[in-house]
Amino acid sequence: MRRHLPALVSLIVVAGVLSVLPFTLSSYNVALAAQVGILFIAVLGLNILTGYTGQISIGHGAFMAIGGYTTAVMSRDHNTNLVVTMLMAFAICFAVGLLVGLPALRLSGVYLALATFALAVSVPQIPLQYSTFLGGSGGVQSSRTVSNLWLYTAAWTCSAILFVLAWLILRGRIGRAFRAVRDSEIAAVASGVELPVYKTLAFGISAAYAGVAGSLFVLATNGFAQPTEFDVFLSLQILIGAAVAGLGSLWGVLVGAAFVGLLPQVSTSVPLIGAEHGRDVVFGAAVILIMLLLPGGFAGLLARLRRLARA
Amino acid sequence: MPRNRRTLVALICAVLATAAVTSAAAASKTSTPGVTKHQIVIGGTFPFSGPISLYKTIPLAEEAYYKYLNARGGVFHRMIKDIQLDDQYDPAKTVPEVKQLVEKDHVFAIVGSLGTAPGLATWGYLNQHKVPQTLLATGDAYWGACAKHACPASKTAKPWTIGWQPDYPGEARLYAKYILQHKKNAKIGILYQDDAYGKNYLAGLKSGLGSHANEIVDAEPYAFTDSAQVVGAHVGSIAAHGADTFVILATPGASIAALATEGHIPGWHPLTILNNVSAVRTFMLAAGQNGANLNGVISTTYQPSESAQPNNAGIKLAKRIIHKYAPALDSDFALGDTTLIYGMGTAWTFAYALQHAGKNPTRASFMHAMRSMNTKKNPFVWPGMVVKTSKTRTFPMEQLIFIKWSGGAGGDWQTFGKVLNSGH
Repeated sequence: MRRHLPALVSLIVVAGVLSVLPFTLSSYNVALAAQVGILFIAVLGLNILTGYTGQISIGHGAFMAIGGYTTAVMSRDHNTNLVVTMLMAFAICFAVGLLVGLPALRLSGVYLALATFALAVSVPQIPLQYSTFLGGSGGVQSSRTVSNLWLYTAAWTCSAILFVLAWLILRGRIGRAFRAVRDSEIAAVASGVELPVYKTLAFGISAAYAGVAGSLFVLATNGFAQPTEFDVFLSLQILIGAAVAGLGSLWGVLVGAAFVGLLPQVSTSVPLIGAEHGRDVVFGAAVILIMLLLPGGFAGLLARLRRLARA
Repeated sequence: MPRNRRTLVALICAVLATAAVTSAAAASKTSTPGVTKHQIVIGGTFPFSGPISLYKTIPLAEEAYYKYLNARGGVFHRMIKDIQLDDQYDPAKTVPEVKQLVEKDHVFAIVGSLGTAPGLATWGYLNQHKVPQTLLATGDAYWGACAKHACPASKTAKPWTIGWQPDYPGEARLYAKYILQHKKNAKIGILYQDDAYGKNYLAGLKSGLGSHANEIVDAEPYAFTDSAQVVGAHVGSIAAHGADTFVILATPGASIAALATEGHIPGWHPLTILNNVSAVRTFMLAAGQNGANLNGVISTTYQPSESAQPNNAGIKLAKRIIHKYAPALDSDFALGDTTLIYGMGTAWTFAYALQHAGKNPTRASFMHAMRSMNTKKNPFVWPGMVVKTSKTRTFPMEQLIFIKWSGGAGGDWQTFGKVLNSGH
């Protein structure tokens, strides 16, 4: 119990802050906080894949697109309960993730990154091809829209559930296998880890998380799923979030998600630069600075602080 | 399950349950958002950058007109402040920006936002929150057809949404009539934007052709993000189908590319019809510079221009306003850029409706004023055309006049015929 005390305390503090937050913020800022929750889920998912099994993906925007379109189409055509559509997004993306994980077995490092990049570029083109079913460039509108508070509650409840799930998965046998794969595939195989099983499993779990995030992402844009929402920049944003969070740690994810979720918003109001392009400049500069000063991301900073405290 | 883990899970669940159960304190506001004693704040989204940034002159002209109006005391001594955001004609960007305008900037109304897809992406939200979405810079039929009851595009009525310019299907029907009169057994090739905007035009054209719709030999869709080369390939395909009538239902970037490609295909000289949102003289000059064969191109308009009607009273006023409040646009204005007149016409109509919404306007009284306009005084529309709405008339403008290009690459539009009714 004592070993987990700091973790437990910080969890309670975070959960406490999150539960009072919507009552102190304006409606607009509640929407922003919900956006951070959505990115939290996506970054968390990518961290399982990249941080724990060492497989890089620049294609998580594609899984978000699949999840988002699942919610929009099911809601439009069958008026399905939105929470149910999230579960469906989870399941469908898990399956697609496993499929994508198969070719990933043969690719590693930068080649895998390129393959997933292709995924990020190609998936948003699919709706253009099947425009009657998937709405073309005009997008799909879900049958109902949600309030900012609903979105906030849904986003952070999902975040909490998925965080606990990730923690349960990663602390046990599966997590150990993941880490073994990351550190040395040969050593992992030698110790009896089934490489194909764990590598595809990591892809499946990670994609499923992105699917839920995509589902919420669509609800955050008034229930509209459109190809341009899921462009390459979204995939990069998630990757940047994971890098800022620090790979291979669950604790930095909140900071990583807040970074990619809030910085572009905050930097638009910076005097002098302002506006769309200034936003990109500030965002880029901040990423460079963080990578220079905190190469291990926020998790690396935490680890360093812990060592300092012990010394 | 170890004890610590169970405690942890229980704790998280407890905290989240509390958060979920507690209901939000609904902050009720009595005053009208965006309206103070000395100011009225409105907002809109426009393509200041991106594939159709040629339209950024529209919000700039609106801004200039509001400055001119504010210098004259505004409307009921309230200064108009217009927050204009850049959505790059990308509905995915429009959605959060409109949310920001409504929930963070607390605008009174959305005025003049540009684009069909951006408009469709936000009208559900705006109607739900009862925020006026007015004078949309797009001529789709939805903006009027869904005002009172459900329509094919929407399961619920959209009473808080209204457009301004003549609707696209009505305009396209006039082109159909023109083709039937001037080209017996035409072979019609169509280039249209592959979204709600292009399809709305296409539907109007087909309905206007009626039983002659089988004269369409090819209809090529393009995406607004397509490069000039891709658009050119579609035009090549239309020529290959043997079309002798070429109808362009596009936005400026693509229309310029289409006209230029047409000019480069040897031996192909179809009757070319261009939709009016692309038939701005400055866009035509750009196409001419790229080798387009412009003589004889047919389109319609509802506005005078500096190059063709320099003595028009509205043009003279617009020229003064641009020169004083947006001098960077002087040369553009001199070239006959009607998007500037368009922006002024929209801004004028907003001020007109606001004036009729009472000294202390509410969103509802403003919307009521928008739906009961009746004036021929808008100086920035074609002389004699009426801006009128009523319970049964949900499109503010329903008149057009035909124009034809002459004078080659440096030429201009000439009007011909009478003012026609494009309404329903």
